[in-house]
Amino acid sequence: MPVITISRQFGSLGSQIARESADLLRYRLVWRDLINESALRAGAPGAALAMIDELGLLGISLSKREVQEFRKALRQVMGELYKEDNVVILGRAGQIILRGKRSVLHVRVIAPAKLRAERIAARHQIAYENALAQVKASDENRSKFLKRLFKIDWDDPLLYDLLIDTSQLDVTQSARLITQAVTSLPGKKHAGVLS
Amino acid sequence: MKSIKGKASSSPPDTPAVSPSRRSSFYHPAEETFATILDYYGIEWEYEPRTFPLEWDERGNVIEAFSPDFYLPQQDLYIELTTLRPKLSTKKNHKLRRMKELYPEINVKLFKRKEMRDLMVKFGLYEQAAMIAGTGAQNQDK
Repeated sequence: MPVITISRQFGSLGSQIARESADLLRYRLVWRDLINESALRAGAPGAALAMIDELGLLGISLSKREVQEFRKALRQVMGELYKEDNVVILGRAGQIILRGKRSVLHVRVIAPAKLRAERIAARHQIAYENALAQVKASDENRSKFLKRLFKIDWDDPLLYDLLIDTSQLDVTQSARLITQAVTSLPGKKHAGVLS
Repeated sequence: MKSIKGKASSSPPDTPAVSPSRRSSFYHPAEETFATILDYYGIEWEYEPRTFPLEWDERGNVIEAFSPDFYLPQQDLYIELTTLRPKLSTKKNHKLRRMKELYPEINVKLFKRKEMRDLMVKFGLYEQAAMIAGTGAQNQDK
Protein backbone atom coordinates (compact mmCIF):
# COMPACT_ATOMS: atom_id res chain seq x y z
CA MET A 1 0.00 0.00 0.00
CA PRO A 2 1.12 3.58 -0.60
CA VAL A 3 3.52 5.85 1.14
CA ILE A 4 3.01 9.61 1.39
CA THR A 5 5.83 12.08 1.85
CA ILE A 6 4.90 15.56 3.02
CA SER A 7 7.27 18.48 2.75
CA ARG A 8 6.08 21.65 4.42
CA GLN A 9 7.03 25.22 5.08
CA PHE A 10 7.20 26.48 8.65
CA GLY A 11 3.76 27.76 9.62
CA SER A 12 2.05 26.24 6.58
CA LEU A 13 -0.08 23.84 8.71
CA GLY A 14 1.75 20.97 7.01
CA SER A 15 2.25 19.04 10.26
CA GLN A 16 -1.45 19.15 11.14
CA ILE A 17 -2.32 18.13 7.60
CA ALA A 18 0.10 15.19 7.83
CA ARG A 19 -1.49 14.12 11.12
CA GLU A 20 -5.02 14.36 9.79
CA SER A 21 -4.14 12.54 6.56
CA ALA A 22 -2.55 9.73 8.55
CA ASP A 23 -5.65 9.51 10.76
CA LEU A 24 -8.02 9.45 7.80
CA LEU A 25 -6.05 6.77 6.01
CA ARG A 26 -5.13 4.85 9.16
CA TYR A 27 -1.47 5.17 8.24
CA ARG A 28 1.45 5.54 10.60
CA LEU A 29 2.89 9.04 10.83
CA VAL A 30 6.67 9.03 10.90
CA TRP A 31 8.31 12.20 11.99
CA ARG A 32 11.36 12.65 14.16
CA ASP A 33 12.09 8.98 14.85
CA LEU A 34 13.35 8.76 11.31
CA ILE A 35 16.16 11.25 11.75
CA ASN A 36 17.03 10.07 15.25
CA GLU A 37 17.41 6.52 14.01
CA SER A 38 19.37 7.62 10.95
CA ALA A 39 21.72 9.78 13.00
CA LEU A 40 22.33 6.95 15.46
CA ARG A 41 23.08 4.50 12.64
CA ALA A 42 25.39 7.05 11.04
CA GLY A 43 27.25 7.58 14.29
CA ALA A 44 26.51 11.29 13.88
CA PRO A 45 24.00 12.26 16.60
CA GLY A 46 24.58 15.95 15.86
CA ALA A 47 22.99 15.45 12.46
CA ALA A 48 19.60 14.82 14.07
CA LEU A 49 19.88 18.07 16.02
CA ALA A 50 20.96 19.93 12.91
CA MET A 51 17.81 18.81 11.13
CA ILE A 52 15.59 19.65 14.09
CA ASP A 53 17.20 23.07 14.64
CA GLU A 54 15.35 24.85 11.88
CA LEU A 55 15.82 28.30 13.37
CA GLY A 56 19.57 27.79 13.64
CA LEU A 57 19.53 28.49 17.38
CA LEU A 58 22.06 25.76 18.10
CA GLY A 59 24.41 26.70 15.26
CA ILE A 60 25.40 23.11 14.52
CA SER A 61 27.93 22.49 11.79
CA LEU A 62 28.48 19.00 10.46
CA SER A 63 31.63 17.59 8.93
CA LYS A 64 31.64 16.21 5.40
CA ARG A 65 31.92 12.71 6.80
CA GLU A 66 28.93 13.23 9.12
CA VAL A 67 26.83 14.50 6.21
CA GLN A 68 27.80 11.52 4.04
CA GLU A 69 27.11 8.96 6.74
CA PHE A 70 23.84 10.58 7.73
CA ARG A 71 22.65 10.70 4.12
CA LYS A 72 23.46 7.03 3.69
CA ALA A 73 21.62 6.06 6.88
CA LEU A 74 18.63 8.24 6.01
CA ARG A 75 18.29 6.46 2.67
CA GLN A 76 18.53 3.11 4.42
CA VAL A 77 15.90 3.89 7.08
CA MET A 78 13.52 5.44 4.56
CA GLY A 79 13.93 2.43 2.29
CA GLU A 80 12.82 0.24 5.18
CA LEU A 81 9.77 2.45 5.73
CA TYR A 82 8.89 2.21 2.05
CA LYS A 83 8.80 -1.57 2.35
CA GLU A 84 6.65 -1.26 5.46
CA ASP A 85 3.86 0.64 3.60
CA ASN A 86 0.93 2.64 4.95
CA VAL A 87 3.17 5.40 6.14
CA VAL A 88 3.06 9.17 6.07
CA ILE A 89 6.60 10.55 6.21
CA LEU A 90 6.74 14.14 7.36
CA GLY A 91 9.78 16.06 6.05
CA ARG A 92 13.24 14.48 6.12
CA ALA A 93 13.80 14.61 2.36
CA GLY A 94 11.30 11.89 1.56
CA GLN A 95 10.54 13.60 -1.74
CA ILE A 96 14.16 12.99 -2.82
CA ILE A 97 14.92 9.61 -1.34
CA LEU A 98 11.70 7.98 -2.53
CA ARG A 99 11.58 9.87 -5.80
CA GLY A 100 10.42 7.70 -8.70
CA LYS A 101 9.33 4.85 -6.40
CA ARG A 102 6.05 3.15 -7.20
CA SER A 103 2.98 4.06 -5.11
CA VAL A 104 4.53 7.04 -3.39
CA LEU A 105 2.72 10.36 -3.30
CA HIS A 106 4.90 13.42 -2.77
CA VAL A 107 3.06 16.38 -1.29
CA ARG A 108 4.26 19.90 -0.64
CA VAL A 109 2.36 22.24 1.71
CA ILE A 110 3.00 25.93 1.33
CA ALA A 111 1.54 29.33 2.22
CA PRO A 112 2.68 32.91 1.70
CA ALA A 113 5.34 34.00 4.19
CA LYS A 114 3.12 36.82 5.46
CA LEU A 115 0.30 34.44 6.33
CA ARG A 116 2.65 31.95 7.97
CA ALA A 117 4.17 34.73 10.07
CA GLU A 118 0.70 35.87 11.13
CA ARG A 119 -0.19 32.33 12.22
CA ILE A 120 3.00 31.98 14.24
CA ALA A 121 2.62 35.42 15.80
CA ALA A 122 -0.93 34.56 16.87
CA ARG A 123 -0.02 31.13 18.22
CA HIS A 124 2.99 32.25 20.26
CA GLN A 125 1.76 35.76 20.98
CA ILE A 126 4.86 37.36 19.57
CA ALA A 127 5.33 40.37 17.30
CA TYR A 128 4.75 39.89 13.60
CA GLU A 129 8.33 40.97 12.81
CA ASN A 130 9.73 38.26 15.10
CA ALA A 131 7.45 35.64 13.60
CA LEU A 132 8.52 36.70 10.13
CA ALA A 133 12.16 36.35 11.20
CA GLN A 134 11.37 32.77 12.31
CA VAL A 135 9.71 32.01 8.97
CA LYS A 136 12.67 33.38 7.01
CA ALA A 137 15.21 31.55 9.16
CA SER A 138 13.33 28.28 8.87
CA ASP A 139 12.96 28.58 5.09
CA GLU A 140 16.63 29.38 4.73
CA ASN A 141 17.87 26.63 7.04
CA ARG A 142 15.66 23.88 5.62
CA SER A 143 16.57 24.88 2.09
CA LYS A 144 20.31 25.02 2.88
CA PHE A 145 20.29 21.68 4.64
CA LEU A 146 18.53 19.89 1.78
CA LYS A 147 20.82 21.52 -0.72
CA ARG A 148 23.86 20.36 1.21
CA LEU A 149 22.50 16.87 1.75
CA PHE A 150 21.01 16.17 -1.67
CA LYS A 151 21.94 19.13 -3.87
CA ILE A 152 18.31 19.94 -4.63
CA ASP A 153 16.08 22.97 -4.50
CA TRP A 154 13.21 21.99 -2.19
CA ASP A 155 10.98 24.60 -3.85
CA ASP A 156 11.24 22.84 -7.21
CA PRO A 157 7.59 21.94 -7.99
CA LEU A 158 8.72 18.99 -10.11
CA LEU A 159 9.67 17.16 -6.92
CA TYR A 160 6.00 16.91 -5.92
CA ASP A 161 2.81 15.29 -7.18
CA LEU A 162 0.55 17.60 -5.22
CA LEU A 163 1.12 21.17 -4.07
CA ILE A 164 -1.27 22.57 -1.48
CA ASP A 165 -1.45 26.27 -0.64
CA THR A 166 -3.15 26.65 2.72
CA SER A 167 -4.06 30.29 2.27
CA GLN A 168 -7.45 29.12 1.00
CA LEU A 169 -7.71 25.51 2.15
CA ASP A 170 -7.93 24.46 5.79
CA VAL A 171 -6.35 21.38 7.39
CA THR A 172 -9.31 19.05 6.79
CA GLN A 173 -9.81 20.09 3.19
CA SER A 174 -6.10 19.61 2.52
CA ALA A 175 -6.02 16.20 4.19
CA ARG A 176 -8.99 15.09 2.11
CA LEU A 177 -7.22 16.18 -1.07
CA ILE A 178 -4.27 14.01 -0.08
CA THR A 179 -6.43 11.00 0.69
CA GLN A 180 -8.17 11.36 -2.67
CA ALA A 181 -4.86 11.61 -4.48
CA VAL A 182 -3.30 8.65 -2.71
CA THR A 183 -6.27 6.35 -3.29
CA SER A 184 -5.97 6.96 -7.02
CA LEU A 185 -2.30 5.96 -7.12
CA PRO A 186 -1.58 2.97 -9.32
CA GLY A 187 0.06 -0.14 -7.94
CA LYS A 188 -0.36 -1.23 -4.38
CA LYS A 189 -3.67 -2.01 -2.76
CA HIS A 190 -5.38 0.30 -0.30
CA ALA A 191 -6.51 0.02 3.29
CA GLY A 192 -9.37 2.44 2.66
CA VAL A 193 -10.26 5.86 3.88
CA LEU A 194 -12.18 6.63 7.03
CA SER A 195 -15.23 8.71 6.28
CA MET B 1 22.43 14.73 41.57
CA LYS B 2 19.78 16.88 39.96
CA SER B 3 16.97 15.21 38.16
CA ILE B 4 15.16 17.56 35.88
CA LYS B 5 13.99 16.44 32.51
CA GLY B 6 12.26 17.74 29.42
CA LYS B 7 9.76 15.66 27.51
CA ALA B 8 9.73 15.02 23.79
CA SER B 9 6.81 16.06 21.64
CA SER B 10 4.59 13.08 20.91
CA SER B 11 3.43 14.55 17.64
CA PRO B 12 4.86 17.16 15.30
CA PRO B 13 3.82 20.70 16.03
CA ASP B 14 3.54 23.01 13.05
CA THR B 15 5.47 25.46 15.09
CA PRO B 16 7.23 24.43 18.31
CA ALA B 17 5.83 25.12 21.74
CA VAL B 18 7.57 26.53 24.79
CA SER B 19 7.12 24.86 28.14
CA PRO B 20 7.04 26.61 31.54
CA SER B 21 10.21 27.94 33.09
CA ARG B 22 12.38 25.90 35.47
CA ARG B 23 14.73 28.75 36.30
CA SER B 24 15.69 27.68 39.82
CA SER B 25 16.83 24.18 38.83
CA PHE B 26 19.83 25.13 36.75
CA TYR B 27 23.34 26.00 37.76
CA HIS B 28 23.77 28.61 35.04
CA PRO B 29 21.24 30.80 33.19
CA ALA B 30 22.62 29.66 29.83
CA GLU B 31 21.72 26.10 30.74
CA GLU B 32 18.11 27.06 31.25
CA THR B 33 18.14 28.87 27.94
CA PHE B 34 19.51 25.80 26.27
CA ALA B 35 16.81 23.66 27.92
CA THR B 36 14.23 26.11 26.64
CA ILE B 37 15.54 25.70 23.11
CA LEU B 38 15.31 21.93 23.49
CA ASP B 39 11.75 22.28 24.77
CA TYR B 40 10.96 24.61 21.91
CA TYR B 41 11.94 21.87 19.49
CA GLY B 42 10.29 19.13 21.55
CA ILE B 43 13.59 17.36 22.23
CA GLU B 44 13.67 15.14 25.31
CA TRP B 45 16.54 15.98 27.70
CA GLU B 46 18.03 15.23 31.11
CA TYR B 47 20.11 17.69 33.08
CA GLU B 48 23.52 16.49 34.30
CA PRO B 49 22.39 12.87 34.66
CA ARG B 50 25.84 11.30 34.80
CA THR B 51 29.38 12.01 35.95
CA PHE B 52 32.33 10.42 34.18
CA PRO B 53 35.52 9.93 36.23
CA LEU B 54 38.57 11.10 34.27
CA GLU B 55 41.56 10.87 36.64
CA TRP B 56 42.31 8.84 39.76
CA ASP B 57 45.00 9.14 42.43
CA GLU B 58 47.18 6.21 43.45
CA ARG B 59 44.51 5.10 45.96
CA GLY B 60 41.89 4.93 43.25
CA ASN B 61 40.03 8.06 44.34
CA VAL B 62 38.55 10.15 41.57
CA ILE B 63 40.40 13.44 41.33
CA GLU B 64 38.94 14.72 38.08
CA ALA B 65 35.52 14.11 36.59
CA PHE B 66 33.26 15.45 33.90
CA SER B 67 29.49 15.96 34.10
CA PRO B 68 28.12 17.04 30.72
CA ASP B 69 25.30 19.57 31.10
CA PHE B 70 22.66 17.64 29.19
CA TYR B 71 21.85 14.20 27.89
CA LEU B 72 19.47 13.79 24.97
CA PRO B 73 18.22 10.19 25.18
CA GLN B 74 16.57 10.08 21.77
CA GLN B 75 19.79 11.19 20.10
CA ASP B 76 21.99 9.34 22.60
CA LEU B 77 24.03 12.50 22.86
CA TYR B 78 25.64 14.44 25.75
CA ILE B 79 25.85 18.21 25.46
CA GLU B 80 28.31 20.53 27.13
CA LEU B 81 27.85 24.30 26.94
CA THR B 82 30.87 26.52 26.88
CA THR B 83 31.95 30.14 26.66
CA LEU B 84 34.62 31.52 24.41
CA ARG B 85 37.00 32.38 27.27
CA PRO B 86 40.28 30.76 26.21
CA LYS B 87 41.24 29.47 29.67
CA LEU B 88 37.94 27.70 30.25
CA SER B 89 37.77 26.53 26.69
CA THR B 90 41.20 24.89 26.96
CA LYS B 91 40.19 23.15 30.18
CA LYS B 92 37.01 21.80 28.66
CA ASN B 93 38.77 20.67 25.52
CA HIS B 94 41.22 18.73 27.70
CA LYS B 95 38.30 17.03 29.48
CA LEU B 96 36.65 16.19 26.19
CA ARG B 97 39.85 14.64 24.84
CA ARG B 98 40.14 12.56 27.99
CA MET B 99 36.48 11.54 27.66
CA LYS B 100 37.13 10.28 24.14
CA GLU B 101 40.11 8.26 25.34
CA LEU B 102 38.30 6.67 28.26
CA TYR B 103 34.75 6.45 26.95
CA PRO B 104 34.94 6.23 23.17
CA GLU B 105 31.38 4.95 22.91
CA ILE B 106 29.96 8.11 24.52
CA ASN B 107 28.95 10.95 22.19
CA VAL B 108 29.58 14.43 23.56
CA LYS B 109 29.03 17.66 21.64
CA LEU B 110 30.30 21.06 22.71
CA PHE B 111 28.05 24.07 22.18
CA LYS B 112 29.21 27.66 22.27
CA ARG B 113 26.47 29.74 23.78
CA LYS B 114 27.52 33.20 22.64
CA GLU B 115 24.94 33.63 19.89
CA MET B 116 21.93 32.01 21.51
CA ARG B 117 20.67 35.13 23.23
CA ASP B 118 20.81 37.36 20.15
CA LEU B 119 18.96 34.82 18.07
CA MET B 120 16.27 34.32 20.66
CA VAL B 121 15.65 38.06 20.82
CA LYS B 122 15.46 38.18 17.04
CA PHE B 123 12.81 35.47 17.05
CA GLY B 124 10.70 37.11 19.74
CA LEU B 125 11.59 34.63 22.48
CA TYR B 126 12.14 37.48 24.92
CA GLU B 127 11.38 35.64 28.12
CA GLN B 128 13.86 32.95 27.23
CA ALA B 129 16.49 35.42 26.10
CA ALA B 130 16.21 37.34 29.36
CA MET B 131 17.45 34.28 31.21
CA ILE B 132 20.91 34.98 29.86
CA ALA B 133 21.77 38.10 31.80
CA GLY B 134 23.94 39.86 29.22
CA THR B 135 27.69 39.58 29.13
CA GLY B 136 27.91 38.88 32.86
CA ALA B 137 26.30 35.50 32.31
CA GLN B 138 28.67 34.81 29.46
CA ASN B 139 31.60 35.22 31.81
CA GLN B 140 30.37 32.81 34.45
CA ASP B 141 31.26 29.18 34.39
CA LYS B 142 31.46 26.17 36.62
